[in-house]
Amino acid sequence: MIKIVKRDQPSRAIFFFTPVLAIFLTLVAGGLIFFILGFKPFEALKFFFIVPIADKYGFSELLLKATPLCLIAIGLSFCFKSNNWNIGAEGQLTFGAIVSGGVALLFYEQEGFYILPIVILAGAIGGMLYASIPAILKTYFNTNEILVSLMLVYVSKLILDYLVVGPWSNPEGFNFPETRQFSDSAKLPLLFEGLRIHAGIFLALAAVVISWFVFYKTYLGFQMKVSGFSLKTAKYAGYKGKKMIILVFLISGACAGLAGVGEITGPIGQLHREISPDYGFTAIIVAFLGRLHPVGIIFASLVVAITYLGAETAQIFMQIPKYTGQVFQGMILFFLLASDYLLFFKFKFIGSKK
Amino acid sequence: MITNLKISNVTKIYPGCVANDNVSLEFNSGKIYALLGENGAGKSTLVKILSGVIIPDEGEIYLNKNNLKLNSPSDAKKNDIGMVFQHFNLFETLSVFENLIIDSDEQRESLREKIDSIMKKYNFSIDLDIPVLNLSAGQKQKVEIIRCLIRSPKVLIMDEPTSVLTEQETSELFLSLKKFSEEGILIIYITHKLKEVMQLCDEVAVMRRGKLVSVSEIKNENIESLANKMVGQNLKTIKKKKAKTSSDQLIKITNLSFTSEDPFETNLMDINFSVNRGECLGIAGISGNGQSELFQVLSGEIISEKNSIEFNKNYIGDLNPQERREYLMAFSPEDRLEQAAIPQMKIFENVALNNFKSSNFFNKGLINENKIKEHSKKIISDFNVNTDNIDLKSQFLSGGNLQKLIIGRELITSPDLLICFNPTWGLDVGAINYIHETLIKINEQNKSIILISTDTDELLKLSDKISVIHKGKLSKIMNADEVTSEKLGILMGGAN
Repeated sequence: MIKIVKRDQPSRAIFFFTPVLAIFLTLVAGGLIFFILGFKPFEALKFFFIVPIADKYGFSELLLKATPLCLIAIGLSFCFKSNNWNIGAEGQLTFGAIVSGGVALLFYEQEGFYILPIVILAGAIGGMLYASIPAILKTYFNTNEILVSLMLVYVSKLILDYLVVGPWSNPEGFNFPETRQFSDSAKLPLLFEGLRIHAGIFLALAAVVISWFVFYKTYLGFQMKVSGFSLKTAKYAGYKGKKMIILVFLISGACAGLAGVGEITGPIGQLHREISPDYGFTAIIVAFLGRLHPVGIIFASLVVAITYLGAETAQIFMQIPKYTGQVFQGMILFFLLASDYLLFFKFKFIGSKK
Repeated sequence: MITNLKISNVTKIYPGCVANDNVSLEFNSGKIYALLGENGAGKSTLVKILSGVIIPDEGEIYLNKNNLKLNSPSDAKKNDIGMVFQHFNLFETLSVFENLIIDSDEQRESLREKIDSIMKKYNFSIDLDIPVLNLSAGQKQKVEIIRCLIRSPKVLIMDEPTSVLTEQETSELFLSLKKFSEEGILIIYITHKLKEVMQLCDEVAVMRRGKLVSVSEIKNENIESLANKMVGQNLKTIKKKKAKTSSDQLIKITNLSFTSEDPFETNLMDINFSVNRGECLGIAGISGNGQSELFQVLSGEIISEKNSIEFNKNYIGDLNPQERREYLMAFSPEDRLEQAAIPQMKIFENVALNNFKSSNFFNKGLINENKIKEHSKKIISDFNVNTDNIDLKSQFLSGGNLQKLIIGRELITSPDLLICFNPTWGLDVGAINYIHETLIKINEQNKSIILISTDTDELLKLSDKISVIHKGKLSKIMNADEVTSEKLGILMGGAN
């Protein structure tokens, strides 16, 4: 007989084990789905998870996809750790890209070392501005940040649509929905000849280090944590709780905005309609899979990035729709939430008495 | 006909705790039974089993020799067991009558007649057509009782019914309960208040840690004997020595008012008082009369006019709690789990919430973990917190240990004034004693206390002066030795 017993204390080992378990279960369930669809499960999984990153180019693509996921998830971890449910990172990414793209277009056909920092900064500010909307509405008008941040995603996408089709569209672009190419000085440098991986990865790594330091080592991080758990406690301790809420949204928005900058000033070098394959939403999964811990988020972003690549190779080689990638992302989150049950409960095997 | 209720070998196990360990009890109508025990002794679990809310792992329940299978609250209702819970289950915005008919399938008209006759019989006067939110706590409880009486129950269970009542409402309740009992309803009265047991009941069953420890007749017991059974050890009785009257004024509140934008908060009107060094000022009142707002105004969570609070010759009305701490004030809020501490954070992190400059908990914006941990260890040993692991999340501390940690954290600055709000709410007798001793010690060291509490006994035990808050207004300040709990009760009810 199996009995479920509550743990006295959530287990720390299990805390880091469940993400691994979730990934394993995702593979099993994924294999099963492939089998039902009539593919050989192991071969399909190989196409999905191994083939895409088997060569140098593939590995660079992996880092390219993992960069925005990691960056956004780091920002989100500030929000989630302090119980602010910002799920509009996709919108903050888009708006950050719009602002930095606009600034980059201002420097059209101009060169100068100062241009790139301004463009990057503009993206961060754009993301912050956009994240400040749900933050201020939450703190001063008691609105629900989940709804507001989510709805603003669609607003930002429509603004982008309007701009690339209308006022910002390339005059020589035969009415394609895209802007002019940014000047080289406004683009993040590529790291290797022939590969698309760019300097944005350093932004992500810097974010990892800084976020770890701020959250675990500083008074500011402590205040954010307290304010997130309980505004009443923050007030009682004398912290400015509302400001802390706004601050975590700003940090999160800045990170998403930077991810947006990376997407448009990297290999592509222009604004167009589809700047992000829902990185902002997928990063939510990355944040939780990484246990909201900076190091965990690095690994999680790599794992989840594979699902993007795998979906593409699977589409090419096996004619499976690339949306299977989203199925995998969904399954990871599903199994992660389910296996978190083990954090608080354990199974006890009891020999049958009869 | 006599109603006989028998609980036979009931066991209920929760993960990590045995709530009821093989409990057997028998009740007969005509008597009022007390079920006595500290918080967590298992009495609530037992009555929840009787009312069908919880299904026991083992054991049977018999009503007049019939084995009852109580799988849901409606099973209990069908078997004529009525229950009035500690927290009211009423819809605030619906009228009294709507609340009463909500779970009944009788015709409205006949039900109304029935309710009228019940109210007449027991002398209840409640307007059936006003919304429940306009009723006092005592009246709301009567609505709950009527809801049970409609079904002419054989058994009526009352779970800690007096925690929200004034002295006067309590004695009214006791009269009604005695009347019900005379009419043949079996009454089971759950409480941890010994005085009430002595006043009301005929027999008493004491529970401790899930086990039934004794069943006896009240006439063979007294308060001390029951307390010892409940706690399982001999308690010292604490007595406060009369404070030397000092005339050295520490804090003075002048013309302080607070108007809230939130309709569920109470406005404070023209509060004036002062506290001398070494003194404990008790503020009594029924909960929801402005205590929470008064606490927040005193702690600085609500900021007021600079000159309205004078502390140690400084005007501090416009300072936030952290700034007030620097002037050697300390605060212990009512809500341990949602305000005074964060259960999901570790013990030492909770200690860091009381951050005063000389603590050096945070240095140039960085966390000084060693300093905080060192400090936490000291609090844990000085204040008898029952753990040696400061990395433990504080949700794993019992209420009593958490409160000791909070009081310890606040006192480590050796403040001149401690303001506490219901510091022993929901704690077991051992922890209450410890907190009371600590508070007395503070006064002996010539430090002052403002004690806002809804527990009249506690106030009479600890205070040198007492005032009563009612609807945001403070009564005149009285010397504690001139006050009786009856007199406080009258003031708490709003009379002059």
